Parts: sequence; C-alpha cells; structure tokens
Amino acid sequence: MRPLRWIGASVRRKTMAVVIATTVIALLVSAAAMLFYEVRTLRETHLAELRTQAEIIGRASGPALAFKDRKAAAQDLLMLRGRPDIELAALYALDGTLFASYARAGQSGIPPRAGAPGYRLEGDSVTLFHAVTDANEDLGTVFLRSSAGLRERMQDYVAILGSVLALSLAVAWLVSVWLQRAVTGPILNVAGAARQVFERRDFSVRAEKRTEDEIGMLADTLNRMLADLEREMTERREAEGAIRAADRRKDEFLATLAHELRNPLAPIRNALYIMQAARDNPAAVAEARAIIERQLAQMVRLVDDLLDVSRITTGKLNLRKEQVDARAVAQSAIEAVEPLARARGHALRVALPPTGVTLDADPTRLAQVFLNLLNNAIKFTDPGGRIDFEVEVAAGELVARVRDSGVGIAAEMREEIFEMFAQVDRSLERSTMGLGVGLSLARRLVELHGGTISVSSAGPGKGAEFVVRIPLAGERQPAARDDRAPFARASAARPHRILLADDNLDFASSFATLLRRMGNEVRVEHDGPAALAAAGEFRPEIAFLDIGLPKLNGFDLARRLRGLSATAGSKLVAVTGWGQPSDRQLASEAGFDDYMVKPVEIERIQAILRAA
Amino acid sequence: MPLCALGQALEHEVKAAYLFRFLSFVEWPQSTFLRPDSPIVIGVLGADDVLAELREIVPGRVVQGRPVAAVRLHEGASLAGVHVLFVGREAGAQLARLAPTRGVLVVSDSERGLDQGAVVNFVRAEGRVRFEVALDAAEQRELRISSRMLAVASSVRPGKL
Repeated sequence: MRPLRWIGASVRRKTMAVVIATTVIALLVSAAAMLFYEVRTLRETHLAELRTQAEIIGRASGPALAFKDRKAAAQDLLMLRGRPDIELAALYALDGTLFASYARAGQSGIPPRAGAPGYRLEGDSVTLFHAVTDANEDLGTVFLRSSAGLRERMQDYVAILGSVLALSLAVAWLVSVWLQRAVTGPILNVAGAARQVFERRDFSVRAEKRTEDEIGMLADTLNRMLADLEREMTERREAEGAIRAADRRKDEFLATLAHELRNPLAPIRNALYIMQAARDNPAAVAEARAIIERQLAQMVRLVDDLLDVSRITTGKLNLRKEQVDARAVAQSAIEAVEPLARARGHALRVALPPTGVTLDADPTRLAQVFLNLLNNAIKFTDPGGRIDFEVEVAAGELVARVRDSGVGIAAEMREEIFEMFAQVDRSLERSTMGLGVGLSLARRLVELHGGTISVSSAGPGKGAEFVVRIPLAGERQPAARDDRAPFARASAARPHRILLADDNLDFASSFATLLRRMGNEVRVEHDGPAALAAAGEFRPEIAFLDIGLPKLNGFDLARRLRGLSATAGSKLVAVTGWGQPSDRQLASEAGFDDYMVKPVEIERIQAILRAA
Repeated sequence: MPLCALGQALEHEVKAAYLFRFLSFVEWPQSTFLRPDSPIVIGVLGADDVLAELREIVPGRVVQGRPVAAVRLHEGASLAGVHVLFVGREAGAQLARLAPTRGVLVVSDSERGLDQGAVVNFVRAEGRVRFEVALDAAEQRELRISSRMLAVASSVRPGKL
C-alpha cells in the first residue's frame, strides 16, 4: 500500500487516481491486444504476399529458367523495383546454382545456392525459397528477402499510442476535475461542516446542500442531526441551569436551616440556667418555662415545615378534606398570629364572611395557608405597619386577601418567591428571615384544593397583596358537625384496656405513659408475635399497632387479631411511621378501623378513646 | 567439337532439353490427337545425338496431360501423327522440300531455317543456344505459341493476325 500513501489523504486525489489509472490500464491493455493482433496479421499477410510475389516471379521466369535465358531472368527480377520492401531476390537453376539475382541499393547477402523451400523470419526480415514449376515440371527456385516493416510499424504504433495516452490523460484529468467539482466538492463541503461543528462546538453550523443525490441526502441528514443536537443541547443547558439554581437554593436553605435551628437553642439554655440558678424564685422559673415553650414552639414549627417540604417533594402530601366553615378556618389562623402582630406593633384589620360559607377542604392545611401569608406579611413589614386580612365570597369562590404595607416585591421576583427555598433577601443577618418554604408550601396547598394564589406589588417598599381563590363546596351543605374536628375540645373518656405494639421503644414508652395518665390500662409489646400472644390473654378493647413491626408486620398482625375471639370485635388502629407504606386502603382491607400517621396528636387519640 | 558448351551441358543436350520444353508452350489443333491420352510425338530427322538425348528425357514425363514420345524419321517419311519435327543440321537441305503440314511444329537448326518454312529455329548468340520464332509459319500450321515462350526468344517474326 506504500505507493498509494500519497493519495490516502484526500478523496479528490483518490478519484483522480482512479480515473487516470482506469484510463491508462484500459489503453495499455487494448494497445497490447491490438499490437499482438496487428503483428500476427501483419506477418501472415506479409508472408502470403511474399509467396504470391514468389509465385508470380516463378511464373514469369519459368521460360527464362527453362531456356537458360539469364538476361530475361534478370529482366524479370528487375520488376521488383516497384516493391520497396523486397531487398533481395534471386533465381536458382534446377541444380541449385545461382541463375540471376537482384539487390536493392545497399543490400547484400544473396545465398550462393538454393535452399529448401520455405520461409524464415530473421529479425525484421523474412526470407523465402519457393520452387518454380511449370506444367508440373520443376524449373528451379526463387529466393526473396523482404523487410516486413515490423519495426517501422511498431514505431508508428508506439508513437500513436503515446499521443493517444497523452490525450487520454488530459481528458481523464479534465474528467477528474469535473468529478471533483460534481462529487468530491459536495462531500468536502459536508465534511467541512462536520469538522467545523466538532472543532468549534457550534451546533448552529449547517452543511450546504448542493446536489439532489446521496450526498445531498447526507447533507440533509447531517443538518437534521445538527438541528436535533442543537435543540437537545439548548434544553440540556436550560435544564442544567435550573438544576444549578435549585441546588443553590437548597444550599442556601441548609445554611438558613442551621441558623434557624440554632437560634432558639441559646434562649433555651439560658432559661434552663435560670431555672437551676433561681430555683426559689417562682416568677423567674415561670418566665424561664415560658421562654422554653415559645422557643420550642418555634422549633416545632420549623420541623413541621421541613416535614411538609419533604412530603411535597416526595409527593406524599395528602389532604383530609371535609365540609368546613370558611369563617372558622380564617378565625383559627387569626388567633394564631394575633400575638405576633401585636408584638410587632402592627394594626391588624380583619373582614370575615358570616358563618355558613362551606368549603370542601382540609381545615388544618387551609389554616396553614392563611397563617403562612399572615406570618409573611407581619415579618416583612417594619414595626407599626398595617396588615389587612379580607375574606369574601365572589363568583362561587372564596377570595382571601392578605395586604401589607411592608417591603414589597420587585416585579421580577413575583414568580420566584413561590419557588422552594427562595429568599428575596439572601443576607443571613436579616432577623426576620424564614426557611423560604412558606409561600411554596402555601401555593402547593392551594393548588391541592383546586384553587390559585397570586401576588401583586407596586414595587419595593410599597407593600404587597396576596390573593387566594378557592372554589366553594357548591350545593352540599355541611352535615352534622364532626366531633373529631381538630379544634374540638377534649372531653373525658371512660378507661379502656389498650394494647400498644411498636418497636420504637421511646415512642412506645412515652405513648404508654400518656395513655396511663388518661386512666387507661396499657400493655406494651415490641414485635408482632409477642403482641399476638399478649392479645389472647389481655383481651384489649383498643389496639394501636405499628405497621413496620418486626417478625410479623402490622397488616398481618391485624388479620390474625381479627381471627382471635378475644380481639375479633376490638378497635384496631394502624400507626405508621415516616417512610413506611401508608396506604389507607391496605389498612382497611387488613381489618383496621382507624389510621394514624406519626407524630400522633393527642386530640386524635382522645377522639378515638371517646368513640370506643 | 561443338562450338561451345553451355555450362557442363553439351549442345545436343541443350537442344534436346529445349525441344522438350517447347511442348509446354505450344497448343496443337485438337484433331491432331486421336484420343485424349494420345502421346505428343517428337520426330527427329538427321540428328541422332539429339534423338538419343530426347529418349533419355521423355520416358515417364507428362506434358499437357499427355505422355511424350520421340521417334526417328527418315527422309520422305510421312508426318502423320508427328507433332514436333526437328530437322537436324545435317538434314537442313530437306527443309525446303517439306510442304507446310497442319499441326506440325517444325524446328530447324540452320541459319536460314525460318526462311525455309521452320516455325522455330535454333541460333547461337553470345556463345549460347537461343531460338527464334516465326509466328506466320505457326499460324499457317494452325499452331498457337505462348507469349511466355516468345518472351525468351531471341527474335520473333510477326504473324499476319
């Protein structure tokens, strides 16, 4: 392959080499074939001609030989002057002696005696001895030597071949130049575009389509691929940007979270110190306990928010919808924020609809929405500001407005504030900062209720207004008040025999303490088989069963308990921890009467005990 | 001895050979042959050495598809059945007395042979045996002589045709 190395680099050279090589090979092969054929026929025709000539001379010189007329014989031979190819000629008598001869100028070498009839090729010349007969009578022999003219013919052929070769090469070169323009040109064009894309990483480059053939199709395909690639690269860049932004927000959130969780710890430590140091001063101790309670409440709210955030991101936030009174929900939110508003010196103006406006909603979550908006308004308004909370019914919707005279929101931030972990002011020093999840949580909750949330602001420093719209419950009127409503007051319940099965020892023991304080008889077990065995002798009226129990899970345990006569009619309550399968449907199928998610609320427990 | 020798060949040998060669170049009237394979007969008058030589040559030879025969003729003999009559030098005097006979090629060997009615006459030129031809005499005897033979004749007396 070495001789081909120089053409290896370029398609253009390859096509040129192919065209020229094809031409040259075809020419040489055809020339060789023609030459071979030509030489053969030339020899044959020449020999035939020479024989004829010898025959003619023989016929003509027959009488001269017969009658020994040398002069006539010499005269006969002279007629060969008209044949320039015949160099030598001679007649021999019957006894083989030379009788007459003829030699062209400059030629010599007449054999002294006649040879045997036949021809011989000597280089470029042919010699021939031919018998002269007349009427079956042998009269003598004629000798001829002729130059076949092969050499001259060959030279002519080589000259012609050379010129044809030169002409063909010129034509082949022109053809390859044309080919280059018609074939390699478009290929190089496509290849150039591809290389440009690769070197510059510029996917907006397009190959020019010059022809309608396969190369044109190649260019089209390349362009379509580039278009796809360009689109995908753009999408990927955007996605990467979004991921980076979310990542950055998460980092900021973590920093904020650490800060926020750290903040209450110092006052709590101080309070504990006070309680220890001023044990004899009841007023100081009460003050310290109040501090601890407040800071603890703050931490609980933070952790609750965190849990909600993870529920949202994992898609596990579920509503417990029921017929609720809009005024009651709004009222509960107001009660929760009033102390803070008062502490900040804000004027809180409230306008609520009359009772009887019913929503199909989760009251806790809806209250949380209002609470978040009101908390935000209070936080982002400098002390002595004005907060308006208006709730009304318009066009089949409940419309709740929270308006403040606070810091306001720049136009470009209006959408972003609803993003998870978004903070308008990212400085850690700002005292009023939260985790940046409140608005995001609020929007998600409103959407789960089939409503919308929007914000408007005249600009930074000019206050803001959040508007929540939630569809009303429609025709359906509230059924009888549900005693299990979260805000219902607990009432005393009669004592029960209660079985508690949970592998979390702390949870089990604290829950058992709580239940015993309420006057119940409690039995605690930490795995499925033990619980099943205890149930037989203890005959509990109520059983709180963890779903994720070792050895025998909660669902299977419930089925077995339903099969025991002692517990066939007992009230079974499923308790699921965080991260465990929490399917109400599965629980109900397994025989559970009720279902609770940790952390359990005292109100729920009281309601269950009352109902039992 | 003879005037000259042609190569190693003696004069009478040459003349005999020539006489035999003449047969190839002469066309006789068809009627002079009895049958398609009748021989061509050469009659020799007064030249025994030539006759002897001819008798050496002719056996087994075929000319114009016919065998060849050589016979001795005597003075006054009939010329019937003879195609070639050679009148030797010694018998030259008899030449003038021969009536022109149809179909007989008369060959003489004397200086005035043609004048005396011969068709072909041997002459000597440059030391060699040559011959001359009288076409008028040939025509008279209804003989046709090939132009190829005339080409090597030393002289040709034209005919009337």
